[in-house]
Amino acid sequence: MSPLLEVRDLTAQFARDGVPATVVKGISFDIAPGESVGFVGESGCGKSVTARAIMRLAPEGSSVAWGGRIGFRGQDLLTLSEREMRDIRGRRIAMVFQDPMASLNPVMSVGAQIDDILRRHTGLSRKAARQRTIELLGLVGIRDPAIRADDFPHQFSGGMRQRVLIAIAVSCQPDLLIADEPTTALDVTVQAQILRLLNRLRRELGMALMLITHDFGVIAGMVERVNVMHGGEIVEAGPIDQLFAAPTHPYTRALLAAVPRLDGARPGG
Amino acid sequence: MMRMVALRLALTLPILLGVSMVAFALMRALPGDFAQASAGTTTISVEALDQIRRNLGLDRPIWAQYLAWLGNALQGDLGLSFATRRPVLGELVPRFLVTAELTLIAGLMALTLGTCTGLASARLRGRVDWIVRGWNSLLLAVPNFVVATLIVLLAGLYFPTIGIFTYVPFAEDPVANVVSLLLPALSLALTVSVTISENTRAAVLEVSSQDYVMVARAKGLTASAVLRDYLVRNALTPVITVTGLQMAALLGGSILIETIFTIPGMGQYLFESVTTRDYPAIQGIVLVAASVVLLVNVAVDIAYARVDARVSYD
Amino acid sequence: MVAIGAAMLALLLLVVVAGPSIAPFNAAKTSANSLAGPDATHWLGTDSIGRDLLSRLIVGGRGTLTITFVAVALALAAGLVLGLVSGYVGGKVDLVIMRLLDVVFAFPVFLLAIAVVAALGPTIRNLIITIAIVYTPTLARVVRGPVLSVKRWDHVEAARSVGVGEFRIAVVHVLPLVISPILVQTSLTLANTIFTVTALSFLGLGPPPPDPNWGSMLAEARQFMELAPLTVIGPAVAIVFASLTFIVLANGLREVLDVGNR
Repeated sequence: MSPLLEVRDLTAQFARDGVPATVVKGISFDIAPGESVGFVGESGCGKSVTARAIMRLAPEGSSVAWGGRIGFRGQDLLTLSEREMRDIRGRRIAMVFQDPMASLNPVMSVGAQIDDILRRHTGLSRKAARQRTIELLGLVGIRDPAIRADDFPHQFSGGMRQRVLIAIAVSCQPDLLIADEPTTALDVTVQAQILRLLNRLRRELGMALMLITHDFGVIAGMVERVNVMHGGEIVEAGPIDQLFAAPTHPYTRALLAAVPRLDGARPGG
Repeated sequence: MMRMVALRLALTLPILLGVSMVAFALMRALPGDFAQASAGTTTISVEALDQIRRNLGLDRPIWAQYLAWLGNALQGDLGLSFATRRPVLGELVPRFLVTAELTLIAGLMALTLGTCTGLASARLRGRVDWIVRGWNSLLLAVPNFVVATLIVLLAGLYFPTIGIFTYVPFAEDPVANVVSLLLPALSLALTVSVTISENTRAAVLEVSSQDYVMVARAKGLTASAVLRDYLVRNALTPVITVTGLQMAALLGGSILIETIFTIPGMGQYLFESVTTRDYPAIQGIVLVAASVVLLVNVAVDIAYARVDARVSYD
Repeated sequence: MVAIGAAMLALLLLVVVAGPSIAPFNAAKTSANSLAGPDATHWLGTDSIGRDLLSRLIVGGRGTLTITFVAVALALAAGLVLGLVSGYVGGKVDLVIMRLLDVVFAFPVFLLAIAVVAALGPTIRNLIITIAIVYTPTLARVVRGPVLSVKRWDHVEAARSVGVGEFRIAVVHVLPLVISPILVQTSLTLANTIFTVTALSFLGLGPPPPDPNWGSMLAEARQFMELAPLTVIGPAVAIVFASLTFIVLANGLREVLDVGNR
């Protein structure tokens, strides 16, 4: 099967105080339809920038220059216009961010924040969109979704907010879901629940998953293949079992050594 | 919500009381005697003076005088004007309405100008930001009465025939009335727009860096939807508050502007009353203006709570 | 920014200190040459009774600025004491002081200023008292805010735990940390005071004539605007220059001292 996402020689360059800094140094990888791939590395290794590059999202107020090729469903995302890219975002490729506490608009009800993406991409009527929103909230495990849809973010806990954000991300049944450290900001017990939810939704909706984390423990049981990133490059790539059993790169070994238990006791799967 | 409104009003009550005390005390602290002042420049016999004192209740203890005055004021009786011998309230109300209209127009102008420049400055950055900030610094340094004087000067030099400065009463011709208030309102609005602009800029910059804006962009929403529902709605809350708080500046500024453009509002009334030493009128204006400012601030707080669901209701 | 502001301030201070001695003419001397336009002798022209406008601008600047500086110094002293006491002692004292300041705060500054001057009478002394009263609450609040947050900081706690006296803590440890916002706010208050002083004089509530003052000069020029429009420019530019000085200074200080935008 041909890959869903085909990244070739991707570079990302920021201008900091006028001095260009290359954060991603020509990386290449594939993600097949429905496949789940982990990206592991410490903060600043370029994994989040890679995710943002696929979404073509530059941080507010800074400029990034991307190079290389991001093939997706037969087109190069880096050559699309901003307008064409907006049709991809949220519809074909969706993203879940790290900090659920800051990721919801505090002055809109959570329902309205799912309604707007639905109405943007699906052409549902206001009423039909709300119906779908309630279904989605139920799908991600929010109790009394019809009532809770009118609540505001500050009435939800961190874990519940991340569920809402996942509902937003999967609302238009994207082909690829990028989850950038989706559990880092959450309590340990909640982390497991969120990972289970992501795994379940991926299988039910047939999405490909790109799971980004600094923690090898998180991806165990979640992904089929792993790319280890360091200093803006992919230093090691392969099936997860192989990587756990016989890491070749010293950096991978160091990362693995930082994980307390690797005996398969991690939740998920 | 009702509880919050009630609480907010309850907190304002002591301040209103304090304001009334200051307004009362100001005119009792006059050099000389209130009765003497009431007689104006006419010479008056000692007996007549005593009669006036009794009529005004000046022979009673000061707190009794205050309570009587406050009681009357609450019933809408602000005393008789020294200048016209007519009730102050009757003189004040039509003038207050003129000032309210002027302030409202100026407020809208300041809000439009301020939010637009602030938004442009925060979104476009670079050179636009630079120009807006320079323009704001300059505006801040030019007091409204200087702006007004320069407007009158320029118009007098270049358009001496246009009667744009003649105030037209609303009842006579509503359109001409609003038109006649545009330039005065502009000179009032310029300074106030700076505060609104700077606050808009800061608020939009702050909101732009929030994660939820990134999430909104990741949803593929159009730029205008992100701007409207995510940026502006969040940035608006502090801006509303600031605009409300500028009411005081607008009311204060209207004193000068009305005098310069000869608009028969409360500001001009105050100026006239000060020149004619019409103390009951001054007292009434001070009381009314300060109360209005306080009540507007309460209204702003309530509006704030309605826009921002995070503000707790207790 | 600070350097530009400081240079502008130096020019203003020169006017205050040197005043009449750098004026080209005697500011009070009238002549038959009234309402003359600018020329080589009278750089800014003359007023309605033939007095040299540049000289009046310089002497008037001395008056305007002296009132401004003295009034703001008083307001600053009162604001410092009230703010420090309020923020530091806290509790009921804080509550009472803040409510009292709220009352003053409730009045539009300019309205209160007019009412007080009207009640007390327009003399220089009363003008200074009035302005000190109306600007004290702003400064007191700016002092109180940081004091409230600073007094719980670790090094203050540490000083207290080794038995340093409360007064000494307030002066040695707390005051230096609130100095930056105070400097910025003082500079802004100076700009506002220039506005209030000249506006009051503009309405005829400033120092009584014959003392020249930028506000009364502008008002006077306005009366003869049709005959000599250019006489408006001098006082207008002077007022704008003076307030711009303090605004530039405040912005510069804000950047240098890294005080938040509000």
